Order: sequence, then structure tokens, then C-alpha cells
Amino acid sequence: MKKTLRAMLGATALIASTTTAAFADTTLTIATVNNGDMIRMQGLTEDFTKKNPGIELEWVTLEENVLRTRVTQDVATKGGQFDVMTIGTYEVPIWGKQGWLVSMNDLPDSYDVDDLLPAIRGGLTVDGELYAAPFYGESSMVMYRKDLMEKAGMEMPDAPSWHFIRRAAAKMTDKDEGIYGVCLRGKAGWGENMAFLTATANSFGARWFDEDWNAQFDSPEWKEALTFYIDMMTAYGPPGASSNGFNENLALFQQGKCGMWIDATVAASFVTNPKDSTVADKVGFALAPDNGLGKRGNWLWAWSLAIPAGTDDEDAAKKFIAWATSKDYLALVAENEGWANVPPGTRTSLYENAEYAKVPFAKMTLDSINEADPTAPTVDPVPYTGVQFVAIPEFQGIATAVGQQFSAALAGQTSVDDALANAQKLTEREMKRAGYMK
Amino acid sequence: MARAISARRKALNTAIAWTIGAMIFFPILWTFLTSFKTEAQAIADPPIFFLFDWTTENYTTVQERSNYFRHFWNSVVISIGSTIIGLAIAIPAAWSMAFVPSKHTRNILMWMLSTKMLPPVGVLVPIYLLFRDLKLLDTQFGLIIVLTLINLPIIVWMLYTYFKEIPGEVLEAARMDGATLRSEVLYILLPMAVPGIASTMLLNIILAWNEAFWTLNLTAAKAAPLTAFIASYSSPEGLFYAKLSAASTMAIAPILIMGWFSQKQLVRGLTFGAVK
Amino acid sequence: MATKASRSAARVMIAPSVLLLLGWMLIPLALTLYFSVLRYNLLMPGANPFVGVENYTYFLTDPAFTDAIINTLLLVGGVLTITVLGGIALAILLDQPMWGQGIVRILVIAPFFVMPTVSALVWKNMFMNPVNGLFAYLAKAIGMQPFDFFAAAPLASIIGIVSWQWLPFATLILLTAMQSLDSEQLEAAEMDGAGPLARFRHIMLPHMARAITVVILIQTIFLLSIFAEILVTTNGGPGTASTNLTFLVYAESLLRFDVGTGSAGGVVAIILANIVAIFLMRMIGKNLDT
Repeated sequence: MKKTLRAMLGATALIASTTTAAFADTTLTIATVNNGDMIRMQGLTEDFTKKNPGIELEWVTLEENVLRTRVTQDVATKGGQFDVMTIGTYEVPIWGKQGWLVSMNDLPDSYDVDDLLPAIRGGLTVDGELYAAPFYGESSMVMYRKDLMEKAGMEMPDAPSWHFIRRAAAKMTDKDEGIYGVCLRGKAGWGENMAFLTATANSFGARWFDEDWNAQFDSPEWKEALTFYIDMMTAYGPPGASSNGFNENLALFQQGKCGMWIDATVAASFVTNPKDSTVADKVGFALAPDNGLGKRGNWLWAWSLAIPAGTDDEDAAKKFIAWATSKDYLALVAENEGWANVPPGTRTSLYENAEYAKVPFAKMTLDSINEADPTAPTVDPVPYTGVQFVAIPEFQGIATAVGQQFSAALAGQTSVDDALANAQKLTEREMKRAGYMK
Repeated sequence: MARAISARRKALNTAIAWTIGAMIFFPILWTFLTSFKTEAQAIADPPIFFLFDWTTENYTTVQERSNYFRHFWNSVVISIGSTIIGLAIAIPAAWSMAFVPSKHTRNILMWMLSTKMLPPVGVLVPIYLLFRDLKLLDTQFGLIIVLTLINLPIIVWMLYTYFKEIPGEVLEAARMDGATLRSEVLYILLPMAVPGIASTMLLNIILAWNEAFWTLNLTAAKAAPLTAFIASYSSPEGLFYAKLSAASTMAIAPILIMGWFSQKQLVRGLTFGAVK
Repeated sequence: MATKASRSAARVMIAPSVLLLLGWMLIPLALTLYFSVLRYNLLMPGANPFVGVENYTYFLTDPAFTDAIINTLLLVGGVLTITVLGGIALAILLDQPMWGQGIVRILVIAPFFVMPTVSALVWKNMFMNPVNGLFAYLAKAIGMQPFDFFAAAPLASIIGIVSWQWLPFATLILLTAMQSLDSEQLEAAEMDGAGPLARFRHIMLPHMARAITVVILIQTIFLLSIFAEILVTTNGGPGTASTNLTFLVYAESLLRFDVGTGSAGGVVAIILANIVAIFLMRMIGKNLDT
């Protein structure tokens, strides 16, 4: 018995110790999100390893929500699992302030940090220290079907109003044909429906908090914004809208089921890619709508690469980030996949490139990004920064719970008034606990 | 089955059973079929069943994106490793509970089962901190330990109920004949217990293979098994039904095939003392 | 029968698993208890002051808490009802003579091997999706509006998915029990003029009672902590319509990264699980002489 036992244990130990052998001097573990641009980067790894012998790359590609919990948990506990993390404009300032990230101010001159778009760079800088390098930047805009718009006898202006969108949605909808006038996010989550709704609410004059951090969900502006959204989606949106996030809507649009879709500018390259999209040659673009109050419903976000403090391989990690967010990388992608598939929204030089200017969505993307101002996101003054989020650590939890309420209202399970009242109550509860409100 | 059954009745039984069986199996079959379609065919209206252009392109895409074999190998090592260690610990415990019961046996058994009700999310942070300090994060060994522990109660209980069915008289007779404890275990108990052990082993491999919380949260790149592999497909960009199907098929095929081949052994011991 | 020597040998043999499980239970439990009285948020490092029962009050007064308890019970109860009833029906059916019984058994057993994440993904996208799912095609084919599963009936949809995963397990155990039923007993009853219903009630059901208890016990243990299926399909919503206790604890500890409240929630969940365990033990006591 003892002998068998020992043999068994030995066998297990043997299996356990056969890990994949890496002969490289340094192995970087990179946590990234499973978005198209990152997957493309993963495919181009060889270019980096060829230029940097001795550095091996390990990819951990995860779905956005899973990624976020994994990296946050790891960086906060100093678990040291990752050398490079893909994080967004929301995390960077908070983490940077905590001292969890390595400063990128010492990137080489060849990186040309001044070439980064100012709006994007500003969002990743805390007290003069750049804490992450943007991999791609995005705002949001209207993507619409030119053919359906024509059929409806309307013409999309470059800067439409919400009321125009609603009229167009009504005319484009043809449920018997499986065409829905407008597809918008409805899936609960601070990065899903709340990103869209917060940005939209800005254009209706609503805000999350007043200057004393009092929650504002009981304001008439929020009610107007939410009522507008739910009425429009119920009448002209696709079925199951309350579980549609970015990816679900992208799939619907690519199948030709949506007349209009207001979402991330980065989607433009996917909907115009004939390989995946059935409507590739019929898509037009316009700025996110407004309501005549001086703010548009577009957001600002940059998926960025950052190095957690305390990593063993800071230099190698910096080399990698400098490669992945460089001008050369953009050229590399353009060479392999065409200019339309280059990660957008990070560098001024890209938009000055004559080749890139031929890409149909290039100008609208840049205009949208320039239109967003994270330091003054709302009509009325607010104590926070961030367009579609509030840059405080408590936000993810609160906004996810609020997102659930709004998602329930879209699903028809609660009324707009109840959803707003619940949102107000739970936001106050959290903010009181966190000590913002007395 | 001495009862005479009319052929008609048998045909009816067969028809009903096959229909239900097909319905239960259909989602898996559909996933398998979809994995060989193009993305456009995967959402075609009306759905296409067999008459599409079979392509293996999705499998190539999935393999390009992630190193399937490494995930697969991690899954194998972790589930088999935790099963072997688990059995090594559980067999003596179950043996003694079954043959030398005391008045605490039942309580110990129930207490063991109740440890399984601990919600993993509630203790993730403490375990994560512990693993960080013990340098067990993202190691196969760390996962083997966790999976051994979370499945141990089920193993002990299953073995216990199986051992209890072994008639004690046989052991007594052997003891009368002067058998030592060692030979008692080795020559009498083990041969009789093999079906139960085999079945426990199979069940435990299945449970460990499919465990998705700890395996995802305690790993990064090196030790990540197939559950982490599938987590990168849970909402990819754009049309993805065919790729999702391919990844799903790759994740479940090994365990499904193992389960089918060994289902007789699995079923034999999977009674948890339910049959008297 | 047990001698003194074998008794102490028994103790030695049982020790490793008891000690290991004790460690596995006590170390995290102690840490969880400790964290549950601290203000400890991963996103806001610094001093973690002692706050007493604040985290508990906060967790218990969460508006979603009552919903979570109800949903947990509905989820466990719903899946148990479907799998036990379905399992009994399938076990009796599969026990009948037929052609190709082995193949049917292979088909029925298959869902048990499928990872929870995979099954949730497949059901959500390829079947229940109201635009592209197979169910939507079927509905449209017979001229009906596609049903929006996760908006209109989120919890019921999840119960359906989980039941599909656990039905094979119930069927297998109950089938084994059925097969051990003496067929002569059934024949005798039939001779005496007992109808199929009476035979089921008075012979089959009592014979399966023990197996049913086992199915309920094992499944309850796994069902109390259902998590992956909810995360993949509904994220607990819309509203709190499909938030169970495990998911609520997840929201605290991995969305808000509030380790203190998450730990308090964990302790609450453990207490509730143990109440269920005691209840189950009572039930087992009647049916299982361990």
C-alpha cells in the first residue's frame, strides 16, 4: 500500500513538474482583452520577438469582465501574475494614484510621446506622469445604413440630434423584414449600458453627481434621458435588447439587422470589413447625437497597456509596450491587414497620413474623439472627471447595480420611475458609506 | 426480464426513448455541427443541418489564437493529479469509516460534505493572498491542491458508501485465517473495491475538469486549463457562433469521449449507497 | 467486530482527510471572519480599521439580499424538482426493454460532461438568443414572436440550463436503483391486478426513495453555489431577477472589490448553507442509515 502510494505521489509530482519549457531569458505575461485589435496584435507577436531576442511573450486573453476582475485582484494584492496589463481610461488614473503602475515618462525619444492625441494622453496622465500607453482610443458615434436611410427618404446630417435619430429609427424599422431602426446597448454593466447611458444623459443635461456628490437620478434630466431611450428602444429596437452589449449589437449590425447603431468608433473597422460584415459597403458615419444643450452623447476611452509596479521585468515590459503602441506597429498592421484595420485613435500622425485619410471613418473618429472632454463632461458642473464614467473607485460597483436597474426597465420589468428611484437609493447608500456624502 | 413484452410495446418504448435522448443530446450535436460551418452559415435562416460546406477553418482560427494543447495538458495534469492525491487520502479514511464505524462517523461525514457548501467567491481573496505568499499562483501544483480539497468530501463519501456494501463477514473470515491488516486490505478489500474506486476516480476527473472558478482565478498563463481557454471566447467580436462552437467542442470533447468510453465503470459505482 | 488495534488504525487512516479538510475549512474561514470585521477594499489600500458588524449590517440591508435568498431557493428548488421528476420518468423509461438502450443512455448522459461555462454559452447564444437562436427560428417558423428568454424569464431560463446539466446525473442514479428492483415483485403486483400507477406508487417509488434522497443531497451541494451559468447569461439581472446569494457575494468582492463586505456575505452564505445542511441531514437520517 505504502509503496503504491509513494509511486502515485511520485507520478503526480513528475507530471506536475513538466511545465512548458521556455528557453528565453525573460518571459512576459501579458493580460489582454479579447477584442479584435488585441487578437491581431497577438498574431503579430513574431515581429516583436524577432527584434527582441531573449524576450518571450505569454498571452492571457480574456473576456472584458473576467479580465477586469483578474487584473484588479492581482494588482491590488500585488500577486505579480502579469507583467503587462491591458486596462482602460477608468482604471489608469485611479491605479496610478495608488502607486500601482510604473511611470512611462522615460520612454525613448523614438517613441515620440508628443504624437499621442492630447485628449487620450491626458486621460492616462496623473500629475504629469504617463501611467499607460494607449493601444487604441475610441469615442462613440452613429453608424448607419446608407441604403436604408435612402429608402426612408431621409438624409443623415454630420451632427444629428436625438430627435432626428428617433424619427429615422421609426422610418427604418421593418420588423417583418427583421430590420430594427436602432440598436443600442442594454446589457447591464458599467462598461456596457451605463457607458452609453451616462454619455447620453450628458447630452440631455443630466449628471451623476452635483458638486457636493449628491446623486442626481431624481432630476428631470435623467428621467427625460431614460424615458427617451426606453421608448425608442421598445418601439424600434431589436428583441432581447436588454441583454445586448457591444458584441451582440456588432453581430446584429454586421448581419444587416440594424438601421442605426450608436457605439464605439472602433467598431467602424469591423462593420466595414467585407470579410465579417454583410453590409460593409453601405455604412455611413455621423457624430453622436445631441439635444441642443451643447454636449454630445459621445464618450472617450482608450484601451492601454500598463506595467504593474513590482514586476521583475520592467525593462522588457517597456520594450514591449513601446513596440505595441508605436508608429511602426501601425505601419506593420497596415502592411499586413490594410489601413482600415490599424488600431485607431492614438496618434496624431496617423490622422495626418494621406493613406489613412482614405479610410471612410477616419475623420469622423478623430472628430468624435476631439469632441469629448473628460474634464468637463456635463452641461452643469460636476466634481468628477470622465465622460461615460466617474473616475472614483466606487463607480464600477455602483454603476453596475444602476445598470441592472436600467436594464430591468428596458426589459419591461420595472417602470422608468421605479428604476430611477432605486438607482438614486442605491447610489446614495454607497456614497454615504464611502464617505462622500454626510 | 421474464415478462413477455409485445414487439409493439418495445417499439413504442424505443421510439419515445430515442426521441428524448436525441432532444437531450441535441445541443451538443448542434454545437459540433456549427463548429464546421462558416460564420454566415452558422446563423443562416433557416438553419442548415448537414448540407453546408464543411470547413475546419474555425479550428485553425481558434488554435492560432490560443495554445490549445497547453490548456489541454494543464487540464489533464490537474484533473488526474488531484484525483490521484484525493484517492490516496480518501481511501484509508473511507475504509476506516466503513469498517470501524464509531458514533462520530456520521457527523464527520456530514461535516465533510458541508465544507463543500462554502461559497468559493467568499473565500477567494484569502486564498489568493495565501497562494501569493506560498508562490502557488499559476502553478499546476496549486490547482491540484485546491481541486483535491474541494472534491475530497465527495470522494470520501462515495467510497464510504461503496465500501459499506462489502460484506464484513468476508473480512472476518480472512482475519480468522490469520490475515494481517496489510494483506486484508491488499488481497481482499482492494479487489472488491476496485469498481467503486474506478467509478469515484472517473467522477472526480469529470468534476475537476469542469471546475471553472478556482481554475480561472488562480491561474494566468502557465497553468491555465481549458476553462480559461473558453473564457476568452465568451463574447468575442462580431459573428462568432462558429468559432465559439469550435472552441466549445475542443474543450468538452476529451472529457465527453472519456466519459462515454468509461460510462459502464462510472455508473457501476455511482450509487452513493442509493441501492440496497 | 472492531478491535482496539483496528480502532486506532482507523483513526490514523481517517486523520489525513479530516485534518486536510479542517485546514481547508478553518484557514479560509478564519481569514474570512477576520476580514469581515474590517473595512477592507482592495481598490482603496491603506489602514484597514476594525469596524465591527458594519459589513454585516451593510450586506444584510442590501436591497438585493432578500431577492438573492429567494432566487437561491427558487433555483435550487426548481432544478431539483425538474431533475428529480424528469430523472424518475427517464429512469423508468430506460428500464423498459427497447432497442439500442446503450446508445440512448450515452445520449442522455452526455450533458453531465459539459463544462458549465460552455453549456451556458451555447444555450444563451445558439438557442435562447431572440434574434439568431434556434428557438427564435422555431417560433418564427410557426408564426410566433420569438421569446426573449433572458429578459422575460431570466431565472426560469437559468433553471432550464442547469436542469439540462444535472438531469443525466439524476437519471443515472435513479436508473441504477430501478435496475436493482426485483422484476418478480413487479410481476406479482401486476398479477394481483395492480395498475401501472399503483405499481409506481407502491413498489417503484419506495424502492427509489433512497436514491432520490441521494440525488437531492448531492445536487443541493452543487446547486447552492451556482455561479458560472449566471455570470455568463444574465449577470444577475435584469434588476436582481437572477441574482443568487453566490452572485451577490461575487458582486461585493469582485465588482466592488470590497473584501470586507464580501467576506461578511461569505460568512452569511456559509451560515445559510449550514442551515440547509442540517435540514438535509434530518432528511437523510430518515432515509439513509449512515
